[in-house]
Amino acid sequence: MFKPSPLVSAVGAILVLAACGGSTPTGGGLGTGDLLVGVIAPFTGADAGLGPAYYAACLAAAPSINSNGGVGGRNVKCEQFDTRGEPADAVPAANKMVASNSNLMAVVGCTSDEAATVAPIIDRAHIPMFCMTGQSEFNKTTLKYFHRLVPADVYDAFAMVGSALFGPGHDPYKKAALVFGDDIGSQAFVAPATNAFTHLGGTIAINQPIHLGASSYRTEVAAMLKTKPDVILTEALGSAGTYLKEVKTQNGGKMIPFIGSSATIDPTWFQQVRDAIGIDDLLKYYAGVDLGYTFSGPAYSEFLTNLNAAASTFKDAPKYKQRGSTLHLYDGIIMTALAMVATNSADPKVYNSKIIDIANGTSSATVVNTYKDGVAALKAGKSIRFVGAGGENNFDQYNNSQSGYILVGYDKDGNEVTVGHLTPDQTSKLIAAGG
Amino acid sequence: MDLYVAAFGFGLVGMSVIAIAAVGFTMQFGITNMINLAYGEVMISSAYVAYYVNKAGVTIWVGMIAGALFGAVFSFLLNRFVYAPFQRKGTSHIGMVIVSLAVSLMIANLLLPIVGYYSVSYQDTTGGLLRAGGIVLTTNQIAIIGVAVVLMLLIHGLLRYTRLGKAMRATAANPTLARNCGIPTQRVIDAVWLITGALCGLAGVVAAMNSDSFAISNGAGFLITALAAAVLGGAGQPYGAMIGAVIIGLVTELSAAAWAPEYKEVVAFGILVLVMVLRPQGLLAKRGALAAAG
Repeated sequence: MFKPSPLVSAVGAILVLAACGGSTPTGGGLGTGDLLVGVIAPFTGADAGLGPAYYAACLAAAPSINSNGGVGGRNVKCEQFDTRGEPADAVPAANKMVASNSNLMAVVGCTSDEAATVAPIIDRAHIPMFCMTGQSEFNKTTLKYFHRLVPADVYDAFAMVGSALFGPGHDPYKKAALVFGDDIGSQAFVAPATNAFTHLGGTIAINQPIHLGASSYRTEVAAMLKTKPDVILTEALGSAGTYLKEVKTQNGGKMIPFIGSSATIDPTWFQQVRDAIGIDDLLKYYAGVDLGYTFSGPAYSEFLTNLNAAASTFKDAPKYKQRGSTLHLYDGIIMTALAMVATNSADPKVYNSKIIDIANGTSSATVVNTYKDGVAALKAGKSIRFVGAGGENNFDQYNNSQSGYILVGYDKDGNEVTVGHLTPDQTSKLIAAGG
Repeated sequence: MDLYVAAFGFGLVGMSVIAIAAVGFTMQFGITNMINLAYGEVMISSAYVAYYVNKAGVTIWVGMIAGALFGAVFSFLLNRFVYAPFQRKGTSHIGMVIVSLAVSLMIANLLLPIVGYYSVSYQDTTGGLLRAGGIVLTTNQIAIIGVAVVLMLLIHGLLRYTRLGKAMRATAANPTLARNCGIPTQRVIDAVWLITGALCGLAGVVAAMNSDSFAISNGAGFLITALAAAVLGGAGQPYGAMIGAVIIGLVTELSAAAWAPEYKEVVAFGILVLVMVLRPQGLLAKRGALAAAG
């Protein structure tokens, strides 16, 4: 039997390694071969509803780029890396992603479940990332490749309190139950919500962290109902249906008003809660908060067309047409591709800083809404500002982009409906009270 | 105090669900010597079968029967076409555990594209609310407790008073000797997979009803709870599994009332660890219906 010599084996190994993951440019230029966007997020586990929303963003962004010449001729592809929503599983997933894909152009996802552990790994690999985490530890991050297109959780919490105190259609709620999942991401809401609500005259009836994925919450609900809250502030993804149905059951078939974070504007959450408590109660008792999207304009139109077309690859993709994170990550991928074209480089160390230039723009920049228009403007020698499906971005020096909140609900088909706005004065009060 | 009484009532429901699952699991192990880590995935698969039946407009109680039938047939086929061939080849005990783990992962991943990752609920499973002395239960929860009690009595009757039960006990104690005594052990084992598979399927539907809302990811949690109750009571001991279910079901709910609810499972499993330290063989080892003589 043929047994290769160590030298032959070594040469073979080098050839195999060289063949893996496409090619990289040497000394500038955009190189050749496919580019990869890594979607690192929970696709299984209690937060399994998050990953698909981000994957859908990539599936919509890739054709926007590929059908317009790609990134210097290179097509963009998407790949899932499942963290199971657990830091322990996220680290090997992130290591595998960066080690086995030399053609990574960007990473999207990294929720609060795993951002703290995977962001440093991705940063060390010099790959631009767009993370869907609201954790305060990233408010002043030093990670150069980290980008956040959504406000920190504290603002989401303030908006929920704003909905409770200033929302339309009800008197200010005075006694709130905080029912948040025991995961890192959900617990980030508790302190700012408590501060804002109590400093503005409210009382926290009960702060009840619940174990996500538990088989039932009967005793928890009994304890919560005993405190007689006016409203429930909640983010318990994956367990919302179980908990809320129990509330309805134990409360004699009547729901208590509940206010969800922006993560509850999600088709899987809608379906789960609708099936559990019924559409009538969901429409009547639910209020949510979200960033102020218009769901219109050329960027959104292209996003929507591509998202619907992505159904052939991922049948649930069209469900994410109004999911804020899907819109934002779509924009993040387009901005990264434009940054690569603008710098004529596939080296992240070169194009990373350009992402923020393209997002924030300058006073003289040409506003573009699509990848096609962006490439055309860049080729014409213009400076550009990309305003995408999720609207304008305004990055600060810590790569955090901020925007305002709206008060929302659902219609019977699961579409987001704007029900009100927080005035600048109300917003200032909430931020001052929340500290 | 009211909360503790209510929690006790909820614990009764929880222990009923766990008991059905744990008794099926422990009988499977006690008689066939197979630690079937795919048990939780068979449970969740059966829960989905009942879901689709229920979604078609059929009452969930009929869906429960469909789930039990599916669990029985699926488990039987799983043994016949996957586990038994490996066992015939002399695969070690740990090897069989790995095989069942692989089967578990395969079922979960095959099911995912079919049922999706999102949570679903059965229709009209709540029933009316009944209050008695601080205990608050729905009529359907009371029915779940009733189903569990009836099943436990049937299992007791099966093992103690029927020829099949006696053959099961003999096969569990010494399969070679049982075969030499004329007991058709292969047919007994087939019957065990059908019966425990039905319990598994039924437990899956009941657990899904108990959760109000369930998803594919719940399979792992179902397995852990059943496994814990089975180990606590003494692996392979049906009566031990019943006691284990009572302890885990009640402790979980009462600790949620007494302490931080996010730690309720920590408390329950802490007790499991403590029992394992003090009595590694479990609470009822060598005392249950399947125990070897002496």
